[in-house]
Amino acid sequence: MDFFALILQLILDASASWIRMFIALGISIVISIAVGIYAAVSPRAERVILPVVDILQTVPILAFFPFALYIFVVFLPGFIGINAAVIFLIVTSMVWNIIFGVYESIKTLPKEFLELSDLYQFDRMERLKSIYIPAALPRIVEQSILSWSIGLFYLVTSEIFSIGISQDQVRWGIGVAFATLVYQGASQYVTAIVVFICFVVATRFLFFRPLEKYSVRYMRQQARVPQPAQGYERTVIGWVSRNISRAPSVLTSNRILKGRKHVSHLPTPKTRHDLRMLYYAGLAAIMLLLIYVFATNRMLLELESVVFPAIIASFVRIWFAFAVMLAIAIPLSVYLIFMSRQSSKYMIVFQIAASIPATILLPAIAVTLKSGELVAFAVFLLSGIWYVIFSVMASTRTLPQSVFEVKKIFGVKGRSAWSNIYIKAIVPGLITGAVTGIAAEWNASIVAEYFTNASGNLVSSVGTGLGKVLDLSLVTCKSGASCWTAQYGLPALSGSQGLMLMGVALLNLVVMIILINTLVWKRMYRKVSKIYMG
Amino acid sequence: MNMITLEKVSFLFENTKLEIMDSISFVARKGEFVCIVGPSGCGKSTLLRIIAGLIPPSSGRVLFANHEITEPNRKISFVFQDFALLPWLTNVENVKIGLSRSDISDEAKDKKASELLDRFGLSGFEDYYPNALSGGMKQRVGIARSVASDPQVLLMDEPFSSLDELTATSLRSDIVYMLENKNISVNSVIMVTHNVEEAVELADKVIVLSDKPSHVKKIINISGERPRDKRSGQFAAYMDEIYAALAKDIEQ
Repeated sequence: MDFFALILQLILDASASWIRMFIALGISIVISIAVGIYAAVSPRAERVILPVVDILQTVPILAFFPFALYIFVVFLPGFIGINAAVIFLIVTSMVWNIIFGVYESIKTLPKEFLELSDLYQFDRMERLKSIYIPAALPRIVEQSILSWSIGLFYLVTSEIFSIGISQDQVRWGIGVAFATLVYQGASQYVTAIVVFICFVVATRFLFFRPLEKYSVRYMRQQARVPQPAQGYERTVIGWVSRNISRAPSVLTSNRILKGRKHVSHLPTPKTRHDLRMLYYAGLAAIMLLLIYVFATNRMLLELESVVFPAIIASFVRIWFAFAVMLAIAIPLSVYLIFMSRQSSKYMIVFQIAASIPATILLPAIAVTLKSGELVAFAVFLLSGIWYVIFSVMASTRTLPQSVFEVKKIFGVKGRSAWSNIYIKAIVPGLITGAVTGIAAEWNASIVAEYFTNASGNLVSSVGTGLGKVLDLSLVTCKSGASCWTAQYGLPALSGSQGLMLMGVALLNLVVMIILINTLVWKRMYRKVSKIYMG
Repeated sequence: MNMITLEKVSFLFENTKLEIMDSISFVARKGEFVCIVGPSGCGKSTLLRIIAGLIPPSSGRVLFANHEITEPNRKISFVFQDFALLPWLTNVENVKIGLSRSDISDEAKDKKASELLDRFGLSGFEDYYPNALSGGMKQRVGIARSVASDPQVLLMDEPFSSLDELTATSLRSDIVYMLENKNISVNSVIMVTHNVEEAVELADKVIVLSDKPSHVKKIINISGERPRDKRSGQFAAYMDEIYAALAKDIEQ
C-alpha cells in the first residue's frame, strides 16, 4: 500500500474512532451533570445513586460488551447498532468518575454559596447555571481527562473485539486498523501506532490543555490568610486527602463526609451507618438468593461448573500479573519520585502512556507470542501497569516539600527511608492503582484470553478463563457454533443457553468484584484514610 | 562563642534570576534566641533553609562553629511550620525519625523517643497516629522529634503560626521553659516569625529584614528576663521599634 494512502486511511480510521469518543464524552458529561447534581442535592436520590454508581464503576464493563453488542444489534440495524454499542460501552467506561466528580464538587460547596443564592432568590435554572455547573467544572474537566484514557482502552478493545464477529464488525476505526495491519507488516503496524499516539497527544494538548486552563478560573481558591484550617490544608495530611480524592470514587464515597466543616450537604454519621448496614444487608440477601437459585437449578449448576474454574483461572492470571506489576512499579516509582526527584518531568509521559491502551499491541503480541498464556499475561501486564505507576506518581506529585526536607534534615537513609517514607508514602497511590489496574486487566480479558483475527480465525487462546467463556457464549465464530464445542468439548449452545451462560459468567464476575472490593480494597482504604487523614 | 554565622548570604532563583536576598550577615551566639521578622515573601523561610543546609546559598556562606554548612547535620535541627509529621507513622515512630543519624540500637531509640514524648506531655499517645492529635500536640511531637538527636542549634520556621492563639501561647511558654531549664542540648535558636509580639516575647535579638531582595534592616537586642510582661512599657517600646523598622519598608 502506498504510504500516503496508508496515512490517509489511518487518519480516517482514527477520526472515526475519535468521533465515537467525543460523542461518548458529550453524553457522559450531560449524564454526569444531571445525575451528579441530583445525587448531591437530594438525600433520597443520593441513597440510591451512590451505591449503584459505586458498584457499576467497579464492574469491568467491557465484559458486558458481548452482551451489549447482542442487544444493540438485535434492536438496531447493523451499522447503527454496532456503533451505538461501541459508544454505549465507552459511555459506561467514562461516566462514573465524572458523576462522582460533579457530586463531590457540589457536596463540598461552601454553605455560603447556597446562602448567597437563597439571598438573591435564584431559581433552579439560575442556580444550575451560576453555581452548580461552574462549581463542578474543574472536576468535570479533570475527570474527563481520566475518562478519556479509560475510554480509549474501551474503544480500541471493543473495536478489535468486534472484528471477531462476522456480520457486525466496526468498519472504520483505529482498532480495526490495528487488527488488520498486523498481517501486512511491521512498518504498517508501527505507522498505525504512531498515528494513534499522535491523536492521543494532540487531544491532550489541543483539547484538554485549553479546557484545563479555562476551568482553572472556576477553581475555588484556598483563602490566602494563614488560618489554622488553611495551614492544616497544606500539611502532609492535606496532601494525603487531596491525593486520595483522586482514588476511584468507589473508595472515596465516604471521604467527603470526613474532615470538612463548612460543606453544604453533610449527611449525619447515623445515615452513613444506616447506609452501610443497608448495603451489607442487601448484599447478603442477594447472595443467599443466588445460592438458592443456583442450588435448585441443574442447568445453572452445569454452567457454573464451567464458569467457576474459568473465573478462578482468570483470577490467578490477573493477580499474578498484578504481582509482577507491583514488583516493577514500586521500585520504578520510588526511584523517580524520591531518588531522581524527576517525577514531574516524567509525569506527562506516564499520563500519556497510561492513556495509550495496551490493547493496541494485542494483535502484534498475539501474532508473535502465540502461546495463549503468554499472550494473556503480556496483555494483562501492559493493561494494568500504567495505572499502577500513574496512580503512584500522581499521588506523590503533591507530596509536600517538607517530607523531603524531613528526610534530609534528620538524615533518613537506606532501609529506614524505604520502610518509613517511600513505601508508606505511596500506599494510597498503590491502592488506587490496584483497583484501576486490576479492573483494566479484567476488562482486557475478553480479548486477552481469546483472540481471533480479522478473518475470524483463532490466533491465541488460554485453556480456560472468564474472558474466553464470555467470548464463546454468544459470539458465534465464523465457523459456526462449534467453537464452544471445540474449545470446551461440550455440546453446542442454543441462543438462549448462550445468553444464560453469559449471564452466569457475568454474575460470577460481578459477585467476585463486589466481594473483593468490600472485603479487601474498601477495608484497606478505610484503614489508610483513617491514618492518613484522620 | 558564635554558633551560627551568616557571611554575606545571597540567594537568587537560577531560572528566573529573581533576587530573594542580598548579602545577609548576622550571628547567633551561644545561648542566644534569634528571631527573624520581615514582610511576607521576603524569603525568611528560604533563609532558614539555607542555614539548615537544605538549600545552598547563591553566594556567601553559613558557618556552624567555624565550619561551613553544606548539608544538613545532626547538630542543627528544624521545626516546621506545618509540623511535617509523617501521617503514616505513629507519634513514637515520628520522633524516632529524629534519631535516624544515631548509632544506638532500635530499642534504645524506642526508649528515648517515648521519654521525649513523655517530657512533652504526650505520654499515652505513643502509638497514636498524628492525625488523632490536635495541632498543638502535633507541634509538640514535631519539637520532640527536632530535639531527639541532641542538636545544639534549633531552627524554627513559624512554628506557632498554624496553631490557634491559645495553643500557641501555651506552647511558647513551654519552649521558654524548656530553654531556660537547660535540660536539653539546644543552646541557640533561630526562629522565623511574622508575629512581632512573639518575637519580642521570645528573642534576645530580632533581625528585621526588608522586602526582597531582602537585606538586614535593623538588629534589635531585647533584654529582660523571660517570661516577659507584655503590658510593660518596655515591651511596647520594643514592639514599636520593630514595627517602625518594618513600616519604613512598606512606605518606600
